[in-house]
Amino acid sequence: MKLARTAILAIASVSLGSAAIVQAQDQTEEPEMSELERRLDVDSVLFNATIKEEPDDDLLELGRLVAMGSSENGGSGMACITCHGVDGEGDGSGAFPRLDGQAGWYMYKQLQDYASGDRPNRVMSGIAQRLTEREREAVSAYYAAMPSGDLDTAHGSMDGTLLQWGGQLAAVGSAEKGIPACVNCHGAQGTGLPPSVPYLAGQYAGYMELQLELWTDGTRDNDAMDVMSTIAKKMTEEDMRAVSEYYARVSNPATDGAEAQAEYDMPAAE
Amino acid sequence: MATELPKTDVVIVGAGWTGLAAAKELADAGQRCVVIERGDWRHDATNFGAPEEHDELKYARRKEHMIDTPTKTLSFRNNSDQTALPMRRLGSFLPGKGLGGAGIHWNGQLWRPLPSDLQMRSHYAERYGESILDGMNVQDWGVTYDELEPHLDFFDRVCGTAGVAGNLNGETQEGGNPFEGPRSADYPNPPMKASPPLQMFRDTAAQMGYNPFHMPSANVTKAYENAYGAQLHPCTYCGFCERFGCGYFAKADPIICIYDVVKDHENFELRMNSQVLRVEKSADGKTATGVTYIDENGQEVFQPADTVCLNAYALWNVHLMLVSGLGTPYDPETGEGTVGRNYAYQTIAAASVFFDENVWSNPFMGAGALGMTIDDFNGDNFDHTDLGFVGGGYISANQTNGRPINYQPTPPDTPSWGAEWKQAVRESYLHHVGIVCHGSSVAVPENYLDLDPTYKDAYGQPLLRMTFDFPENDRKMSAYVLSKAEEIARNMDNVRAVGTVNRAAEGESYSVVPYQTTHNTGGAVIGTDPATSVVNRYGQMWDHHNVFVFGACLFPQNLGYNPTGPLMGLAYWTLDHMKNDYLQNPRPLMDA
Amino acid sequence: MPNFSRRAVLMQLGASGLAALTPGASLAQNRYADLDTQPWSFLDGNEARFLASMADVLIPEDDFPSASQAGVVDFIDLQLAGPYGKGAGLFLEGPFRDGAPEQGWQVDHTPATLIRTGIARLESGDTRLVDLDASEREDFVTRLSEGEDFDLGDVPATTLFDEIWSLVKEGYFSDPIYGGNKDYAGWRMVGFPGAHAYYADLVDKNAPFPAPPRGIAHVPGSSRSASTSRALTGSDADTQQEEG
Repeated sequence: MKLARTAILAIASVSLGSAAIVQAQDQTEEPEMSELERRLDVDSVLFNATIKEEPDDDLLELGRLVAMGSSENGGSGMACITCHGVDGEGDGSGAFPRLDGQAGWYMYKQLQDYASGDRPNRVMSGIAQRLTEREREAVSAYYAAMPSGDLDTAHGSMDGTLLQWGGQLAAVGSAEKGIPACVNCHGAQGTGLPPSVPYLAGQYAGYMELQLELWTDGTRDNDAMDVMSTIAKKMTEEDMRAVSEYYARVSNPATDGAEAQAEYDMPAAE
Repeated sequence: MATELPKTDVVIVGAGWTGLAAAKELADAGQRCVVIERGDWRHDATNFGAPEEHDELKYARRKEHMIDTPTKTLSFRNNSDQTALPMRRLGSFLPGKGLGGAGIHWNGQLWRPLPSDLQMRSHYAERYGESILDGMNVQDWGVTYDELEPHLDFFDRVCGTAGVAGNLNGETQEGGNPFEGPRSADYPNPPMKASPPLQMFRDTAAQMGYNPFHMPSANVTKAYENAYGAQLHPCTYCGFCERFGCGYFAKADPIICIYDVVKDHENFELRMNSQVLRVEKSADGKTATGVTYIDENGQEVFQPADTVCLNAYALWNVHLMLVSGLGTPYDPETGEGTVGRNYAYQTIAAASVFFDENVWSNPFMGAGALGMTIDDFNGDNFDHTDLGFVGGGYISANQTNGRPINYQPTPPDTPSWGAEWKQAVRESYLHHVGIVCHGSSVAVPENYLDLDPTYKDAYGQPLLRMTFDFPENDRKMSAYVLSKAEEIARNMDNVRAVGTVNRAAEGESYSVVPYQTTHNTGGAVIGTDPATSVVNRYGQMWDHHNVFVFGACLFPQNLGYNPTGPLMGLAYWTLDHMKNDYLQNPRPLMDA
Repeated sequence: MPNFSRRAVLMQLGASGLAALTPGASLAQNRYADLDTQPWSFLDGNEARFLASMADVLIPEDDFPSASQAGVVDFIDLQLAGPYGKGAGLFLEGPFRDGAPEQGWQVDHTPATLIRTGIARLESGDTRLVDLDASEREDFVTRLSEGEDFDLGDVPATTLFDEIWSLVKEGYFSDPIYGGNKDYAGWRMVGFPGAHAYYADLVDKNAPFPAPPRGIAHVPGSSRSASTSRALTGSDADTQQEEG
C-alpha cells in the first residue's frame, strides 16, 4: 500500500471537496479578531482550533460571519450568537451549551452529526444542514479559539453531600456501580481532551444533565463506540445531577487568556 | 504455633484470573470459598484512572503493580554448571501482585491453542516420525481442543474478545485466522481498528500469500455485557496497557470481569495482604488439609479446607509445591520426579521497521492487543520437514504503546547514546513499528525449577531456582520465523530501514535482564501419565487428590501463543469437572 | 540555605561544558526557578557536576535541550534520595557473588551507594570530568560504557554506566512531576502527547498529531506541568513513585 503524503495537521483527514469559499465581507476587522489570531500563537489554542488545517485569517473571519448569521449559506438561518451568545457563553437553560474554547474538532463533528441526523436535534439539524463544509469548519475553529474563562453564573444552592458525590464520580468513578471516572477521558480537571473529547468544567449543569439523559435513552449515541451511553445507563438521576452540578462549578482555565498570554510571552520552546 | 481458623470448603491461593474464576464458579456451586491474596485490594475505577495511572516511571519502570522483589524473587542460572544467583531486580518477566494479579497488567492478547498444540508429541510423531522430538520432553496435554472449546468460548464471553473468526464450526471465514481450531461461536465483538503500519503489514502479508488477521483482543471494541453480567466499555487506544491497569473498563481483567460479580456472594471471602507459606498435608500425606499463611496482621494462621486450589502465578505455584512437599521434585540427573520438570518460556524476536516520513505510526495511539498477525509460521501450520526444529510462532505487527522512556527506536548502526542517537530517536519515533515473532518453547530435560540451596526469601523460605537457556530447537525456530518477519518488513512500502533483535540468537544466552515476556510456563504440568505430569488431565494432583492446580504451570511445553487463553480454557475445564464430578464424590478422577 | 543555587553549582561546569547553562535562550525556556533555590536532596556539588557532565554527553544539546537543561540532574537527585535510590525493588540479601551478565544486578549496593561510590572512585585522582573538554568527556564516557581501564573496586564500570544512562533516559522522558523533562522537553522532541490519552477516533488515520504534551499535573491552558514543586515538597509524588 502506498500512503499518500498528507499535508494536513489535524487528524481529521477529510477532503475539502468543493465547499464554497466565502470571502470575508467588507467589514472592518474587529479588535477581537486580532485577539483570536494572537491566541493562535499558543500551541494548545492552535491545536484546539485546528480542524483540518491550521486556521488562517480568512477561516476565522468566515467563522465569525457564520456565528453572526451573515455568511452566504449560514446566513439564511439563525445566527449562533442568538442562542450561544456573542462570546459563545450559551445560557443556563440546559439547551444551549457554552462553546467558547470548546474542542474544535469535537464541535465540527457535532455539526456534521446534526446535519446527518446522527445527533438528532430539530433546531441544530436545520442550521447545520444549511452550513457548507467549510463554514462548519470555520465556525468551529472560531469558537475553539476563544478564551474560555469562568462564567458569572449563579449556581443554585446544592446539597454539599451531593456535590461531593459528584466530585467523587468525576475523579474516581464508582467501583460499586462500575462507573469509570470522568477524568479518564475528559481530562484531569474536566478540561477536555482535544480533538475528540469536550470539556465539562464550567459547562452548564442543566446541559450536561440533559445530555446524560439523552445518552441513557439512546437519543444521543454519536460518540466513538457509544461509550457515553454505556456509562450513563449505569447512573441514577441523582448521579447525573451530582456530577453535572459538580463540573459546572469547576473552574475552566483550559484556554484561558491569562495563561495563554503568559505562554505567549515565553521564548519559543525550540 | 499457627492459629487455626474455622474450616472452609475451598481455599484458593491467589486472586488473579484463575483464582477469581474458581471462586465464582465454586461459590455458585455452593462451596464456601476463601481466597487468599498477598497484595492489596484495588479496583479499576478507583485505582487505575487516567491521567495518574499513565505514569511510565512509576508503573513501567518502577513496576508498582508487580511482585515486590525484596520479599519474593527467585534465583537463576543458565545451566547446572553455574551457581544460581538471585534475580535481584525485575527484568525479563513481571509477575503481578494484588487483586487481579498479573491479569490487570496484561495486554489482552487472547489466543486459543491450535488443536495440534495440545497433542504435540503424537501429532509430530505421526507426521514426521518420533525422532524429530529427540532430546525434548515434548508431550501431549492429555486434553484435546474439542474438549476445551466450550471453555475457551466461555472465556471469550467473559472478556468480550474482539476479532474475526477464521473457522466457525469448521467453515473457513474470510479475514480470520484460517489455521485456528473450529469455533462454536463468533467472537463476541468486532476487531480493533488498524493503525497505518498495521494496514501496511496486512496488505504486504496478503500480497506475499500469507493470511493476515486482527490479533484477538481482550481490549473490548464495543460496550459489552459479559457472560457474568459485568459491563465492559470500548477501548480508547490510550497506549497504557501492558504494565498498567485500565481505568476505562476496556481491558478485560479479573476485577471488572469476575470479582465485581462475586464479591457480594455469601460463599465468597477475600483475604488481602496475606502470604501463603505452605500447603499442609494429612498424616498419611495423601491429601491436603489446608494452607498456612501470614495474615494482614503478620500472624501465622492455618486455614483448614476440604479442597485446596493453587492459583498463584505459574512460578509461585511450583514454589509452593516444592516448599510444601507436594508431589515429587524433578531430578535432572535421573529424569525422575515431576515438580519443576518441563519449565519453558517464550522465544521472542522482532523486526523493527523504520518508515519514511509519509507513514505516521503515532505509536502512542496503541492498545495492548492492537496487532495485525499472520499464523502461517506458528505451530505445525507449515511443513517442518528438513527444517531441523519443531514449533513456531506468530508474526505480528503490534502497536501497543509509545511510552518514551522505553520506546526509543533507532535504525541499525545508530550509536546507543549521544548526538546521533538523539537525532535518530527524534526522526524515528513517529514513523516506526515493531513486528514481533512470538515463538514457542519446547521443554528439555536441562531446563527446570527446584529450590535454591543458598538464598532465602523474606519469609525464610528457600528461593525458587530457575535453570534455563534457550534450547537449540528454539534458536533454530526463532531464526527461521524472524527471517520471514524480516522479509515482510522489507517488502512493505515507505520503509527506510529494518532492524532485528533475537533474544534466542545463536551464541546468546537467556538473560533475566531485558524484558521479554511474562509467559513462564510448566513446572507442574498436566498429562495422563504420573511419571511425566504433576496433575492429571483434570488439573488434579496425582499425589493429593484434593489439590487442584491452575495456570500456565500446567503447560507441558509452551506454545507459540500468549498463555492466558489456553490457561483459562484449562481452568474452566477443571472447574467443570470439580463442580460436576469431584465435589459430589471427592476421589482421584483418574487412576494413576 | 538561602544562597544555595543548583544553577550556580552547575555553572561551575566551565566554559568548555554546558554553554547553555549560561544565561541565554536555552536556559530561558527552563522556568523552574523553584527548584534552583532548593538544596540537593542527595547529591553533593561534585556529584552533581559529574552527573551533569556525563548526562550531557549522553544527551547533548541540539534543537532540543541537553539532559541537564531538561532537569535530569534534578531528577536523579530526587530519585537517589527516594525509595528507588535506597533499593526499593532490589533483593539485597547475601551472599553476593560475581555473576554472569545474564544474571543481572549482583553488586552489594543500592543505586544511591553505587553512584556515590562509583563517582568517588572515578574522581579520586586529580582530574574531574567537568574539567575535560567536550571530546575528552565523550572519550571518557565511551570508555566507561565499555568498562575499559577502570578499577572501581566492587562497582563494575559497566554497571555504573548502565545505571546512570538508565536514570538519564528516565529523567529526560518521564512525567515532569519527577523533576526532569522540563517543559516537556523530551516529549516535545519525539512528539509524545503525554499522560492524557484518548485516541479512539484517531488511531487508524495516517496523519501527524501535533498535540501539545500534557503531563499528569498539567496546568490547563499552558505548556507546562505543575511539577517540580510537587516533586520536591509534596511527599505526595515522592512517596507515590515507588513503594515496592
